Amino acid sequence: MKRKLIQLPVFLAIFFSTFGLHAQMNENIWFDGFSRSYFTRDALDKSLIDDTISARNTSSGYNLLDLNTHVNPIQNIEIFAQLRIRNSFGSFFGSGTEINVRQLKAKGVINNKIRFSVGDLFLKQSKFTLYNYDEELSVYENDMLKFYRDIIHYENFYNENRWRLQGIQTDFSFKFDRFIRNLDIDFFVTRPRGSFQINESNYSSDLIYSGGSILSNINKRLKLSTNYVNLFELSSSGTKNISVRNPVYDISLIHRYNSENYHIQQTLQAGFSKRYWLHTELENAVSDSISNDTKGMYFDLENKFSKQDSSLFLTLGFRYVDPNFRSAGAQTRRLNYDDINRNTIYPFYTNMSLIRPPSMFDIVTDDQLYNQDLSSVLMAFNPIYSNILPYGDATPNRIGFHMKAIMNNKNNLFHAKFNSGFFKEAIGQGTSDKRKFGLISGLLKINLHEFLNWQKKLTISASSENEITQRGGKDVSKINFFSHHTNASINAELIKKFFIQASYKQLNAKGNEFVTQRDNYGNISYFTLTDVDQKDHMLSVGMLYKFKKNLYAKLNYSWWGMTSFDQNYLNYKYNRLLLILSVKL
Amino acid sequence: MNIKTNLIFLLVLIFSFYSCTKIEFEGPSIENLYGDFEIIKSLETINKNPSFLNNEQVSFHCEFNKPVKWKIAILGLSTNAYKEITGFSEIIDSNTIIWRGGPSELPFFSAEECAIQLTFENEVDTIRDTINIVSTKSYENGIWFEGFEDGLPDEGLVYYNTDGGGMTFSLGNDNPLLGNYYFKMGGRVNWDWVLGNIDLPVNINDVSQNSDNLFINIGILSDLEDLHTGQFINILISEETVTPFNDNLSNNASDLFESTMEVYKMKIPVDWNGWKMKSLRYSDFEPVSPNNQDINFNMNPNDIRAIRISCQACPSSAGNPICPENFGKNVRADIDHIIFTTNSSLLDQ
Repeated sequence: MKRKLIQLPVFLAIFFSTFGLHAQMNENIWFDGFSRSYFTRDALDKSLIDDTISARNTSSGYNLLDLNTHVNPIQNIEIFAQLRIRNSFGSFFGSGTEINVRQLKAKGVINNKIRFSVGDLFLKQSKFTLYNYDEELSVYENDMLKFYRDIIHYENFYNENRWRLQGIQTDFSFKFDRFIRNLDIDFFVTRPRGSFQINESNYSSDLIYSGGSILSNINKRLKLSTNYVNLFELSSSGTKNISVRNPVYDISLIHRYNSENYHIQQTLQAGFSKRYWLHTELENAVSDSISNDTKGMYFDLENKFSKQDSSLFLTLGFRYVDPNFRSAGAQTRRLNYDDINRNTIYPFYTNMSLIRPPSMFDIVTDDQLYNQDLSSVLMAFNPIYSNILPYGDATPNRIGFHMKAIMNNKNNLFHAKFNSGFFKEAIGQGTSDKRKFGLISGLLKINLHEFLNWQKKLTISASSENEITQRGGKDVSKINFFSHHTNASINAELIKKFFIQASYKQLNAKGNEFVTQRDNYGNISYFTLTDVDQKDHMLSVGMLYKFKKNLYAKLNYSWWGMTSFDQNYLNYKYNRLLLILSVKL
Repeated sequence: MNIKTNLIFLLVLIFSFYSCTKIEFEGPSIENLYGDFEIIKSLETINKNPSFLNNEQVSFHCEFNKPVKWKIAILGLSTNAYKEITGFSEIIDSNTIIWRGGPSELPFFSAEECAIQLTFENEVDTIRDTINIVSTKSYENGIWFEGFEDGLPDEGLVYYNTDGGGMTFSLGNDNPLLGNYYFKMGGRVNWDWVLGNIDLPVNINDVSQNSDNLFINIGILSDLEDLHTGQFINILISEETVTPFNDNLSNNASDLFESTMEVYKMKIPVDWNGWKMKSLRYSDFEPVSPNNQDINFNMNPNDIRAIRISCQACPSSAGNPICPENFGKNVRADIDHIIFTTNSSLLDQ
């Protein structure tokens, strides 16, 4: 009887809300959302003989519905709530069902002049103040595996390089008839982390992240923007008398020129940061003091050229980022390599029950490895997967040139991308000799159906990303490290909306590197010498049926693993069968 | 903005950021962490025939190409006395790395030949040398000392439970730590905690050090033969300045250790075989009556008037069977060489 009482309202809620999706009820309340059914079966490869402890195969999956409710009580106000209903496969109805409020936000316009948002905000500023950089191995993701990336981004609220933060935001603008054309102003205050209990008698402090932007179009060609952000702890909200401060100041001048055939944009961007820990309320009336104080600046000059018909985009730039530049909003990484973050699939392996380090497959498929919280110190990274710009353009201790090119064939026959960068360290790490970095990558996607004049699609794509890191000097500190990520895929539409797909990814890394270890205040405490000779692979075949643009079903089988050429006992191979039904409502 | 202005702006910025970074490199030196270890200057022992009695000292000097964890071990070839000096540096500096003749643990060095060995963590290199001790150092250079060489001190008071069996609480000369005599404390009081104590008056009112820099050193002897597992020594130090040391003549104990007085305590479990030198920092002692608001526990070494060394053990008889496994076992916690030192413990001096 009790179970029926629970089942009834849940059934009614789902039934009527689904009904409402189609009905779009009325102009004051409307719904949209997302639904996903996801099933995987992971298995040890038959060739694996030195792991008799792990399960030979495991299966898991879930159904979920994210129901977005939009309520407009008055014309200029909207209340938004995202309700998630998730049911894991294999659990009884009720016991395995989770119902969560995933997002909650109110937004509106006051007096048709001032816009505001309260609740879950998706914020982005400049690339050095607040920017959620793409994770490694994602630059040239092939079409076949893009759904994994979409899931990771959706589950971790990665939306257009924005960080999801909770707080309040407002923006407004002025228009002028002389001197400048307009002035856009934006402010926000968020709380990335609330106070929590550390132990019986200690509480951490609230972590606050606030900032603002002012943007002005001085004339048709010149645009000036300034940004300010500050990450700080409110020591009074906890019992710790030490609190971090990380203000970042940014200014950029943008010059644009448009002609009939092309568009040119030059951006000159500079700024500086401070980061320190403030010690307050000290015993014996000792005055406040600061520790681990660092100051750093950056400078970026970027020139963009693009054809008006979008057939060619060129970017050439020069960038300097000081070794002591610290910006929590721009340098927080998506991929969290902390020890506590273990792989969801086979977290342990071999008969020695070793912790399995994340491989290329895990980075591509496991949304649990990713991070949603801003970090006041530089997070750890794995040089195998990203060694040159692990913190994006805001990576500290880099000076060099970068170039990008995108070419689109007018007849849609091919699409090509090219990316390169040549950097070196501003100062050495552990030695006065500096690392030198080379980055070259490219993508070519060919639409064979256009060549052959087929109605059904047939595309092939291939990409290659190469990173090389070198350091000279004494033998003990020399570095020669190389990683190569290749990607190839084919996508063939056999019958209308039904595709056969195959892809192969491989990552080779070889050489030696000193992995940096940092203390709680971000200071380098040790360099761990790492010798690598490793190959990650992932071969996938599958089929896709696209009911319509945002509704598809996919069946996929993957063979994946890692080969370490100098430590054979660490090798592993696994297989995965995956079924997914994705619906955007 | 024309191109010339852009270029000037760019050049100014390039020059400014080149001047931003002052340090040579970030983090610890990789050469130090991973470079091959080399001894640049071999071990030099300065003063190979020390007369520690005359306050002579032995110093060491050695230089390496990178900081390492090093250890100098000095072994008395007759006594097996042992001294260890360790550090992490790229130089063993003879101005700071000095040995004044004391051991790390008992026994003491005698006038004997000693083997010296310098080793390094994670390195195979070992450097050896020898020295010859001409005379041993004096261990009586404290601000207050009692070695029982002249019998029990005149004002000293000894109390023990006379109902116990095999009670010692007297001077012995069969196994002294230093000199010829020591004070024996032990016996069997199965039904109670307290076996007995010795109270000694102390006068160190000219000491200038605070409680962090005052050390109470005491040699304690026990054995492992049929060891009483619940035995310990309780040290009380009194800063009572008004009451006389022996105010009430009808008892055999000092009157300076009442719960209404400024008295500090420290408990030392005794569970080893042979002599051990215990060095206790005075500031680590705790008030006996911390909740008594009438007492100002300001811990001032100048005010120390008396020390009580009690021998206690966990009762084991049927009437009070807290430690029944110890029933019938004798307690032994003999003492010798009680000395107050300043700034460092006796063995570190």
